[in-house]
Amino acid sequence: MTSPATAAPSVPPSLSLPPSQFARLQPHAYLLAHLSPPPAMNQPSVRANGRAASQFRVTSANAGSLTHTNGSAVVRIGDTAAVCGVRAELLHTEDIASWSVSQSSSATNQSNEAGGQGTDAENEVDRAQIEDLNLLVPNLSLSTGCAPGFIPSAPPSALAQSLSHQILSLLHSTRLVKADDLRVWYQPPNLEHIENEMDVDGGSENRHPREIKAFWVLYIDIMIISLAGNAFDAAWASVLAALRDTKLPKAWWDVDNETILCSEDINEAHKLSLRGMPIASSFCVFEADAAAGWRAVVIPDAEEQNAEKQKKKGPQSRWILADPDGYEEGLTMEKACVVVDKENGKTVILKMEKLGGWTIDTEDLRQLVDISAQRWDEMKQILG
Amino acid sequence: MVGPTASLSNLHRADGSASYKCPATGFAVLGAVNGPVELPARRDALKPEEATVEVFVKPGNAVPGVGEKYVEGILRDVLSTVILRREKGLPRRGVVITLAIVGGEATERGDSYLTLLPALLHAAQLALISAAIPLPMTLATTLLGVTRSGEIIRDPSPAVAKAATSLHAISFSSKGHLLMNESLGRFDFDTWELVRQQAATICRGAATPGSDGDAAMGGTDNAHVDGFVRETVEDHLHRDYNWKLESI
Repeated sequence: MTSPATAAPSVPPSLSLPPSQFARLQPHAYLLAHLSPPPAMNQPSVRANGRAASQFRVTSANAGSLTHTNGSAVVRIGDTAAVCGVRAELLHTEDIASWSVSQSSSATNQSNEAGGQGTDAENEVDRAQIEDLNLLVPNLSLSTGCAPGFIPSAPPSALAQSLSHQILSLLHSTRLVKADDLRVWYQPPNLEHIENEMDVDGGSENRHPREIKAFWVLYIDIMIISLAGNAFDAAWASVLAALRDTKLPKAWWDVDNETILCSEDINEAHKLSLRGMPIASSFCVFEADAAAGWRAVVIPDAEEQNAEKQKKKGPQSRWILADPDGYEEGLTMEKACVVVDKENGKTVILKMEKLGGWTIDTEDLRQLVDISAQRWDEMKQILG
Repeated sequence: MVGPTASLSNLHRADGSASYKCPATGFAVLGAVNGPVELPARRDALKPEEATVEVFVKPGNAVPGVGEKYVEGILRDVLSTVILRREKGLPRRGVVITLAIVGGEATERGDSYLTLLPALLHAAQLALISAAIPLPMTLATTLLGVTRSGEIIRDPSPAVAKAATSLHAISFSSKGHLLMNESLGRFDFDTWELVRQQAATICRGAATPGSDGDAAMGGTDNAHVDGFVRETVEDHLHRDYNWKLESI
C-alpha cells in the first residue's frame, strides 16, 4: 500500500522556517535582514512590508460616508482605518454661566469681525471662545476590536485617551476651526424710527449691536476600526477630512419663539472655512543592534556619535522608518512626529515631536521635515 | 533671574522623592519613586527582559484626566531612555514614578502640557536619583517660547507662553544627546535650530568640547540646568555624609 500518507514521513523534516514563522520568532532579526541584506544577495534595502524606508503606505480617503452626521470621513492608511464623524449641536449663550461677563470684554471688537487677516485681539477672542467654551470635543475610540490587544467594549485605554488629547491639543494649537463659523448671530431690528416718533432721544449710536445667540459645538468622534500601527496619522487625517466635509445648517434666532431655528435647506448650509491643512507624519527609528539596550552603560557621547556618523564607517546601524506599521512599532523605541502645513509653497511646522531615544538630532529632523513636506503634497491630492 | 530650587528625599515612605520648584513659570512638583517593585498584574503584557516604567501625574486641584494620561506617556518614553531597565534586579520589576503638581497655574482642557514638562521631568529625575535607580546619564530640560517678534524667551510664564507663536520643550542628556523635543505652534526649521542652540546652551552650558559636568561649579552667571541637577545632588550627598566629613 503506497498512499501519500506513508510517503510523507520519509521526507526529512525541513530545518528552515517559512518567513512568517521566522518573523514571529525573531522579529528583530527578520526586519534587520530585510533592511541590510548580505552584499552577496545584491538586493536593495527594503522593510519587511516591502516599502522603502521613507515610503508611506497607500492612503485613501472618502468623505461624507455617514449620512446623519454634519461631516464625516473614512481614511485608510494601509491596514489602519479610521472613521470620523462630526456632529454639531447648539450651545445657547444663555446656558453659558459666564457669558455676560466674558461678552463685555469681547464686545469691543465684535463690530469689525470680517476684516480679512484679523487683528491680534480678534484672534485672542477666537481662541478664547473655542478653548474656554469647549466648542471642539474630539473623542477617539479604540475599543472596537481594532487589534488583538484592545478588548472590544472595554474602558478607553491609555493610548486612546492620549490620542484624544493629542488631537484636541493640535486642534487648539493649529487653530484649525475659525470661531466665526461656529457663531449664530442675531441682529435686533432697528426700531429707531418708531422710537423717534415717541420721544426725541435719537442718539446716532447704534443701540442694538448684533449679538451672539448661540455657538455650534462640534463633537468629533473617531473610531479606529482597524489598527496596524500609526494610529495618530490616520486619526488626524480623518479629523481633517471630516472637518473639510462638515456643513453647518443655517441657524437664526427666532424672536417670536425665543429659540433658535435651523434651515432644512442644504443649499443654505455653509461649510467650515479651515485655517490651512496640517498633515501629520510619524516616524520611528529601528536600531540594528538588538542588544544595545543591554550595554546601555556605554552610551557614546553625542560628539563621538556624530563623528562616527560622518566617517560613515561600517554598516548602517539605524533606519528611520516612515509611517511604521504595527510590527515595526513593536520593535522600536524612538519615534518622531512632524505636523506641517504649506502656505504659498513655504513649509510651516506646526508640531515637531521626538521622544524615546537619543539618535535623532538636527540633521535627521531636517530630513524628516522635508519628507513630511512631500507627504503634504501627496495628502493634498488624496484629500482633494 | 531666580533659578529653580529643588530638594531630595522629602518623603519617608517612598523609596526616593524630590521636590522641584521653578519660580519663573511658577510650577512646583513633588515626585516620589518606588522601585524596583513587584508589579501585581499584566505579567504577559510586560517585556520580560526589562523593567516597566510607570508614571502617574496628579494635578494639584483636579482629578487626573485625559491630559494627564497624555503627559504620562511622554514622561514614560523620555524617562525609559535614561533608566537602565536591564540592570541586575530590574528585569520583570517595575519602577513607579508618581508626580504631584503642588503649585502653579491649573492646566486647562486641551492644554499641551509643554509648560509643565521641565518641572515634571526634573522632579522625576531627582526622585529617581534619590531612589538609587541606575541611570546611565542625567537629563536637563528647558522650555523656550518664541514671541511674535521672533524673540526667544527662556522659561516663559503661562501668560507669555499662551501669547507665544511657538513653544519648545527640549531635553538634553548629560552626554549631549537630544532626548526629547516637543514643539508646538507655528515656526520654520531655521527658528527651531536657533531654539535648539539656545536650549543646548541653557541645558549644558557654553559649548566646551568633551565637558561632562562641573564646568560651572564656580558659581558663574551662566549656570546651566545640567549643573543645577548636579549641584542639587551634591548638596544632598554632602549633607548625608556630613558625619563622615566631620570625623576626618
